[in-house]
Amino acid sequence: MQPKQSIAATGNNLKIVSLISVGKHPQSGRVRRADQDSRAVELGMKLLDSGNPTGGDSLVVLHAGDPKEPGLRGYAGMGLNSVQVLELDPAADAVAPLGEYLQQFAPDIVLTGVRAEGGESSGMVPYQLAEKLGWPIVPRVADIISVEAGVAEVLQALPRGQRRSLKIRLPFIASIDSAAQDARQSAYGPASRAMMDIEIVDSSTDQLRENWSEAPAKKRPKRLKVIKAKTAAERFKAATAKSQSEGGKVMQNESAAEQAQAIFDLLLEEGVLR
Amino acid sequence: MIFEWLHPFLIVTALVLMVIGAVRRVNLWRAGQSDQIDLIAGLMAMPGRYLHDLHDIVERDKYMSKTHAATGGGFVLSAVLIILVHLLGIDSQILAWALMASLALMFVGALFVFKRRLNPPSRISKGPWMRLPKSLLAFACAFFVLTLPAAGVLPEGTGGVLLTLVLTGLIIWGMGELFFGMTWGGPMKHAFAGALHLAFHRRQDRFGAGRSTGLKPVDLSLAHEVGGVLGVAKPTDFKWNQLLGFDACVQCGKCEAVCPAFAAGQPLNPKKLIQDMVVGLAGGTDANYAGSAYPGKDVGNAKGGPNQIITEGLLDPETLWSCTTCRACVEECPMMIEHVDAIVDMRRYLTMEKGQTPNKGAEVLDNIIATDNPNGYAPASRTNWAADQNLPLMRDVKEAEVLFWVSDGAFDMRSQRILRAFVKLMKAANVDFAVLGDEELDCGDVARRLGDDATFQSLATRNLAVLSQYKFSKIVTTDPHAYHCLRNEYNDFGSDALNGVEVLHHTSFLNELVQQGSLKLNSFSGGKVTYHDPCYLGRYNGEYEAPRELLRSMGIEIAEMERSGFRSRCCGGGGGAPVTDIPGERRIADMRMEDVNSTGAELVAVGCQQCTAMLEGVVEPRPQVKDIAEILVDQLAEELH
Amino acid sequence: MTDQNSFDVLRRDPRAERIIRNRLHPLHDTYINTGAGGELTEVRGPSGLLRKNPHNVGFIGPNGIKRIDRLKGNAAASGKGRRSSAAQETLLPLHQVENPDFYVVVVPDMVGGRLTGQDKDVIGQAHKLAVGIEGNGAVLAVCFGQSKEEHFDTAGVDRLLLLDDDSYEGYCPEQRLAALVQVESAYKPPFWLFPDSVNGGSDLGSRLAARIGERPAAQAWQVDNQTSICRGAAGTIDITRTTPRLLLLAEECADQIDETRHEALPVELGAVPTVIAKLQDQGQVAVDPNAISLAEAEFILAAGNGIHNWDQFHTAASILGATEGASRVAVDDGFMPRVRQVGATGTWVTARVYLAVGISGAIQHMQGIGQCDKVIAINTDAGCDMVKRAALSTIGDSQEILNELMTLVQQFRTQQSEGGDQDAA
Ligand SMILES: Cc1cc2nc3c(=O)[nH]c(=O)nc-3n(C[C@H](O)[C@H](O)[C@H](O)COP(=O)(O)OP(=O)(O)OC[C@H]3O[C@@H](n4cnc5c(N)ncnc54)[C@H](O)[C@@H]3O)c2cc1C
Ligand code: SF4
Ligand code: SF4
Repeated sequence: MQPKQSIAATGNNLKIVSLISVGKHPQSGRVRRADQDSRAVELGMKLLDSGNPTGGDSLVVLHAGDPKEPGLRGYAGMGLNSVQVLELDPAADAVAPLGEYLQQFAPDIVLTGVRAEGGESSGMVPYQLAEKLGWPIVPRVADIISVEAGVAEVLQALPRGQRRSLKIRLPFIASIDSAAQDARQSAYGPASRAMMDIEIVDSSTDQLRENWSEAPAKKRPKRLKVIKAKTAAERFKAATAKSQSEGGKVMQNESAAEQAQAIFDLLLEEGVLR
Repeated sequence: MIFEWLHPFLIVTALVLMVIGAVRRVNLWRAGQSDQIDLIAGLMAMPGRYLHDLHDIVERDKYMSKTHAATGGGFVLSAVLIILVHLLGIDSQILAWALMASLALMFVGALFVFKRRLNPPSRISKGPWMRLPKSLLAFACAFFVLTLPAAGVLPEGTGGVLLTLVLTGLIIWGMGELFFGMTWGGPMKHAFAGALHLAFHRRQDRFGAGRSTGLKPVDLSLAHEVGGVLGVAKPTDFKWNQLLGFDACVQCGKCEAVCPAFAAGQPLNPKKLIQDMVVGLAGGTDANYAGSAYPGKDVGNAKGGPNQIITEGLLDPETLWSCTTCRACVEECPMMIEHVDAIVDMRRYLTMEKGQTPNKGAEVLDNIIATDNPNGYAPASRTNWAADQNLPLMRDVKEAEVLFWVSDGAFDMRSQRILRAFVKLMKAANVDFAVLGDEELDCGDVARRLGDDATFQSLATRNLAVLSQYKFSKIVTTDPHAYHCLRNEYNDFGSDALNGVEVLHHTSFLNELVQQGSLKLNSFSGGKVTYHDPCYLGRYNGEYEAPRELLRSMGIEIAEMERSGFRSRCCGGGGGAPVTDIPGERRIADMRMEDVNSTGAELVAVGCQQCTAMLEGVVEPRPQVKDIAEILVDQLAEELH
Repeated sequence: MTDQNSFDVLRRDPRAERIIRNRLHPLHDTYINTGAGGELTEVRGPSGLLRKNPHNVGFIGPNGIKRIDRLKGNAAASGKGRRSSAAQETLLPLHQVENPDFYVVVVPDMVGGRLTGQDKDVIGQAHKLAVGIEGNGAVLAVCFGQSKEEHFDTAGVDRLLLLDDDSYEGYCPEQRLAALVQVESAYKPPFWLFPDSVNGGSDLGSRLAARIGERPAAQAWQVDNQTSICRGAAGTIDITRTTPRLLLLAEECADQIDETRHEALPVELGAVPTVIAKLQDQGQVAVDPNAISLAEAEFILAAGNGIHNWDQFHTAASILGATEGASRVAVDDGFMPRVRQVGATGTWVTARVYLAVGISGAIQHMQGIGQCDKVIAINTDAGCDMVKRAALSTIGDSQEILNELMTLVQQFRTQQSEGGDQDAA
């Protein structure tokens, strides 16, 4: 369904900013480009490619933090000439300087990830920026289909592969969902060569966070399924149905109709027949 | 004879044109990058290399080797004598007779070439190559007749204008092909370029029955240079002697005939690839190419030049990604051309500069970078497979006789069976061994073959740093790819961690144990068995015997496949090919399984977890697939210790 | 919960009671451990009073998991002399809050107009927090859009603010935010609770947090009135922090309300200003299940070498509303496009249900379905690896079983459209 339409080249002279953070690999914890953020860069690059052929559009890839952070090189390797870095202490609050930068730069579209891969990862940054700038925000965007006359048409990712179409007035902030187009490969050569455009900024440290404690995620116990059935018969049914699906039930001698019934029941129970 | 001056004049003209052509051709090669080669030593060694190394390869085809010796030898001798007799006019009947003899030799040779070309196999190129035997015949005939007077067989001035004209025509044709064509791009170019290629080969170690299979590292400092290019983007990014090597191709198609990707209908033909490189270095199109195309692609659309990006017009990247790096082509090539080097060089550009590793390639590289294993498993779970094995860790023991390099098979349930079998065998033989545990990283094989030399080098240096902390005299692995990297490719990084360490494949090591009597085996009684040589064990490292000896030591009589030993057909698992997975008409593994089936074997023994995976990926019913370690462990005679 | 069994005839088993009372009786342990029925966990003591054995609440279910049985062993007892009565709705005790001192506000997702499981978890959490505050607290649910929910009461809603006029229909976070801001100033709730979900909860909660300047606890999964534990760094760390006013709560953050009924009294909100929306909902885009990328699909019907009737397979997929997947062999043989390949060299899928038809379960294929919840296998070979992995396997010819299955689903579909709006799930 991913629409293949190209962005109408209407000479928008779009100014796009993709915000990037330092990602963390879920298995190794090693620094990397964050998955959603790199999709945000990808979408930015796509808008650029499909936009005004005379090249009026521009894309700035922006990070607030340590410019020497190797994770940033991963984004650069997507073919960026430079990465704009607002240099500040990584423990400092990034929203204020980002907000100021955006206010001055006045982009049309700001793309971010939905949640960061490190730290609090509450997904609040785009909302705080939107609030600060007074711009609308669209969360979980899968694609931007067109930008015309100051209005963008975006596809929002809904659960189970569904999509919602939205129109939104520029300028706006969009957080990019994992359902958006995969980021292109990061190549070593361009990653090493890209420039870090550094601007040193001031920001207060995030004091609230200093009082927090962090630990590796504990495994959460699965909630015991308490039988909610109101009668013995129902409960009995629930109990037997449960044992069927969990034990890896094999139906060998039943008739095809019985087998199909069992499959049907399971599909129904899982709620995938709609 | 009338026009007395004519023939010497023609000879001089041809020779002058030849020299001009040679200079131009040399300049085309010199557009490539510099390479450290001792030119003089190379030239001195060249005749020997021709007579031994090259001839040894040609000798695999007796007919062709004799034919070539007659034709080529006859021609070289004739050329020298022609200059003496006809150009310098040395009046010696002995020389003239010698010339006639060599021309006769050449003539006979050319006849055999002609005969072979009457019904040519599909692998060899047609076009100008079909003309060559006739040109050779014309040359030999013309000069034979021309020499008759000098030998005193015929009186001077025999023949009329007609004969002279006919002779002149033949001489022009013959010399055009053999002198002029030699340096201006005709089929005879192979002699000129081939000879120099032997002298200046990039892998000098290959000569004298040597082996040089490790890829050369990329200079990563280029990554920080503006305008620097990693890998090969344009023909001129190749080393100059690589370009020279391409020019040496005789379009015999030996490589095409053995290429598994070509046979599977994937868009790769190593011969065409080399010819496209020639198009690239000289500039032009492939319209004159008269051999088999890349499967599924038409000839005539490729365009290139020395300074044009190869993958934009000359080659489809899919061609490069189809290669399994099995080295069958390199092994067969009579001109000792290095296809795999060229392919990986171009892949390096695609991966490290363009970020265009196809299909799962990019993801696998990302995983290797982030987790040091291709599937992105938690690095800390590397030793989970051995939770019940009680393996000594190097970190604890610091020193052991044998370091067991476990490889990424640790993450794969099927491969773990092989690892367990090998551990059991080592324990049975009381081997003093230890493993690196979580300190071991991916060996870098896949990253390197996918063109990501930066990641390979990073893995190699980190692995070497770990290795250098411990003492061991042998490093043994069940994975031929890791074996190859450790043995042949880790030497380029200035570490002495592997100095004096014997790197062994588990079959070699187990064979030692069996021959020493440390492992007692029962004889095998499980039906017919064949053995599949893994490319990275066989062609890359020359180990063909140990696995066979092991099988024989269990009383197995191997039902050899037609393609075995150095001619073994790849399983399709090398070079990252399963990851890039370029579609063809069939699967390489299916073809290999047909090879197995044609022996009637019920079990195919392998020495590589990747081969195991590939061959087991063939849908059933099919023979069983087992690593030799697994077969051995089943035949282990239980002893009381 | 005292009156729930009043309709049942209580049959006493004096011997069992004796054994239970006598801890030294040789059979004491068996009776205690089997937890055989309400009579045993709740025993009438010598004085005639009910005695509870707190260690023996619940019984071990057929799958070996301990079940809390709040109905005092009806199930087990049914085989033990008790006539199980016909289906009866039990009437839970009513929890009333008159003149609440404060409101804990919950904003449920109301997917399809009904409370989701996570919504109910959050309401449960709200009650836990309300108890921790001095005074009489009520849980106020603010629900947007048309509601079809009939059980606000048993879910634990004390007060219900239903904002269901047209301006709240569809995706209109700006308008909804305006309403929440109004709630904020009208009720000054000590806690705002949102489900941290993709169904709108995170979005709305984050908007409100940004608007009122609160720093929310996101992905909070263990919360009391002082501290919250939240998943951070993409689920890889736990952050322990003081509980903020606004919480975005993870699934199963707290137990749902199940022992009380609540009033669900409607409340009104003063007029909410109409916002000039910068976002315009153009509606949901029709998505063909088969066009959904495999990685996102929640229900996959996958075909392997054991499919011999491809037309039937495609029909089955469309009738079931499943996204099509394939093994490599099916792709290699040209029956399915490459984008549909599941496995090591194809897509790694995360479907909730993966129905594998005629797929043997080669290791490379299994790699691709490692994250699937429920695997169902249709295969002729009971010994194949797919059957070992599957939660349910049917051994037989794929064509026959698919046929039967299609019939069942078609029947179900017609019933559904006749019976109007039935919740399938
Ligand atoms: C490097 C590599 C990568 C690979 N990557 C992938 C990958 O990404 N994805 C993938 O799928 N495979 C992959 N494979 C291939 C894999 O190894 C298997 O070959 C493949 O998955 C087998 O497909 P299959 O189960 O459809 O076929 P089969 O193995 O032939 O299984 C067919 C099944 O259908 C059953 N059957 C037959 N007739 C009927 C009937 N009438 N009704 C019901 N059942 C029937 C049979 O009992 C059998 O179990 C890879 C292999 C390699 C070597
Ligand atoms: S590359 Fe070598 S083997 Fe291949 S055609 Fe040329 S000369 Fe022959
Ligand atoms: S290395 Fe193997 S696959 Fe690659 S071109 Fe040579 S023969 Fe073909």
